Amino acid sequence: MTDVLHDLPPGVEQPQAAELTAEGIVVRFQGLTAISDVSLECKRHQVFGLIGPNGAGKTTLVNCLTGFQRPTSGRVRLGGEDTTGWTPDRFRKNGVARTFQAGRLFRDMTVAENVEVTALGLGMSRRAAHRHAMAMLAWVGLGDRADTIAGTLPYTDERRVGIARAMVLSPAFVLLDEPAAGMSDAECDDLMHIIAAIPKEFTCGVLLIEHNMSVIMGVCDRIHVLDGGRTIAEGLPAEIRADAVVISAYLGMEG
Amino acid sequence: MTEPLVPHAARASLLRRYWPLLALCALISAIVAVGSLGSEQMQVTMTEMLIRLIVVVGIYLFIGNSGILSFGHIGFMCIGAYAAAWATVDPAWKQMMLTGLPDFLQQNQYGFLPAVAGGGLLAGLVALILGTAIMRLSGIAGSIATFAFLAIVNSVYSNWESVTAGTSSIIGVPNVVGPWVAWAFAIGALVLAFAFQVSRWGIMLRASRDDEVAAKSSAIGVVKVRLIAFVVSAVIAGVAGALYGHFLGILTADTFYLGMTFVTLAMLVVGGIGSLTGAVTGVLVVTLVVELLRHLEAGVPIAGSTVHLPQGSQEIGLGIVMALIMVFRPTGLTRSREVPWPFTRRARRRKMEVAPAR
Repeated sequence: MTDVLHDLPPGVEQPQAAELTAEGIVVRFQGLTAISDVSLECKRHQVFGLIGPNGAGKTTLVNCLTGFQRPTSGRVRLGGEDTTGWTPDRFRKNGVARTFQAGRLFRDMTVAENVEVTALGLGMSRRAAHRHAMAMLAWVGLGDRADTIAGTLPYTDERRVGIARAMVLSPAFVLLDEPAAGMSDAECDDLMHIIAAIPKEFTCGVLLIEHNMSVIMGVCDRIHVLDGGRTIAEGLPAEIRADAVVISAYLGMEG
Repeated sequence: MTEPLVPHAARASLLRRYWPLLALCALISAIVAVGSLGSEQMQVTMTEMLIRLIVVVGIYLFIGNSGILSFGHIGFMCIGAYAAAWATVDPAWKQMMLTGLPDFLQQNQYGFLPAVAGGGLLAGLVALILGTAIMRLSGIAGSIATFAFLAIVNSVYSNWESVTAGTSSIIGVPNVVGPWVAWAFAIGALVLAFAFQVSRWGIMLRASRDDEVAAKSSAIGVVKVRLIAFVVSAVIAGVAGALYGHFLGILTADTFYLGMTFVTLAMLVVGGIGSLTGAVTGVLVVTLVVELLRHLEAGVPIAGSTVHLPQGSQEIGLGIVMALIMVFRPTGLTRSREVPWPFTRRARRRKMEVAPAR
């Protein structure tokens, strides 16, 4: 299976970028400042957690890092190259993939086609795309749902398809937006194994937005905390857990 | 699709893959074969139906796969129809009436096939220019832009006296399109539309229809795949227009306006906007309903006296059919699915019968 996952077609190489960086990102929506001066660096081989209360600007920041939102000021860099203002499809072609909070599957297409179409978008042949898609689905544990229409999948399976779709052709970085929302504890455990395996299996850095603290603390190598659009802390999981500011702004509310 | 183990299975899966196309082509061919034995009026009705089929299939190729409603395709039909007529009408008439035509058109008379090709190409070229501008619009904004295009085409072709003969018509277009010519082009349109929808461009475009944001994050150049479909579908509409001109023998810009736009969209919606089978079904069903009502309007002899439906029953009837379908089957008569493969159930049953013996 590992062979298929890394079986890139001629002309398509896994992107080499070693880090995905936000430098002094500011996003303003008509006077409302959603993000003010946030910098972070997500490294390959790492799971980088991004946490904070609702409205902290986590998704907006992910939108900036994937081309869906142009920052008002600041830079986005991929392995040193300035990628600010790139379109989402250009980000994906250069190895920055993401999932969405709402799933956003192609509802009228089959599960296999959902994954396959990303491989096609990245330039694979039909046959190679199909083989690759089946391998990705097997990897997230949905090999038997390939022919199911995506719109009829249960919520938790939707998330896995989203992850399979994002991992097509081994991107350099994947940004997961609340993949565990609404999952039971057992499902969270499965998900954690999948997420933790991504850096090793694909040599792909992960940026993980999540509210579930056991998931965050369980898989992250580093954690960045936002509140009200500002960075309030960054560090190792143990440091974040002990940080007084983080506890009062965010963790404290969890009791 | 797993790797075929034996050639037989490969043939079966290939057949299965192209089954909807084969079934639709067979259906259309059968209808034409039977209809060609009928009266002269029947031939005319059938030819017109086949030309509409080409238009609707062309419109489907864009709307069905992209999810963007286009009101502009009849404008491409108009462009194709006039372009082909410029090529085939008698030069003597053109020199008298169409003084603004370029020399190569005004001085010469071309054959039917090059004229049709020219009509399709001009429509495609206009679509390329227009599409480059409007394909980044989604939803209602894109639809309104296409409607504006239709209005522009109509007003240009109604008023550009020296090129289109304005409100007087272009007459003397050779009447060369009968049922079998229209049939040949209809089969071509079906093949093209099916090939597009199973192609990589078709799959990527349908992904953008289901979720544009996710499509962008799947490395799909949404504007590009939309533009490809828009141009191909405009070429098909342009070809249909060229055929229509050579079927009617006379061209007026108003032939290609709101009435035609409504009928063709009604056909697509009735059949099912999301499948090629839906496009074909819609054309057949709507033609049948309209012909039936037209027949009743003309009067049927019942028990010695002739019974008429009032004039206008056609339009009202079509409206009622559409409303009923929107209420009871919003995704169209076919539920926007393709012709199902008919052999699955039997094969599965056979497998189940075999199973206990193992």
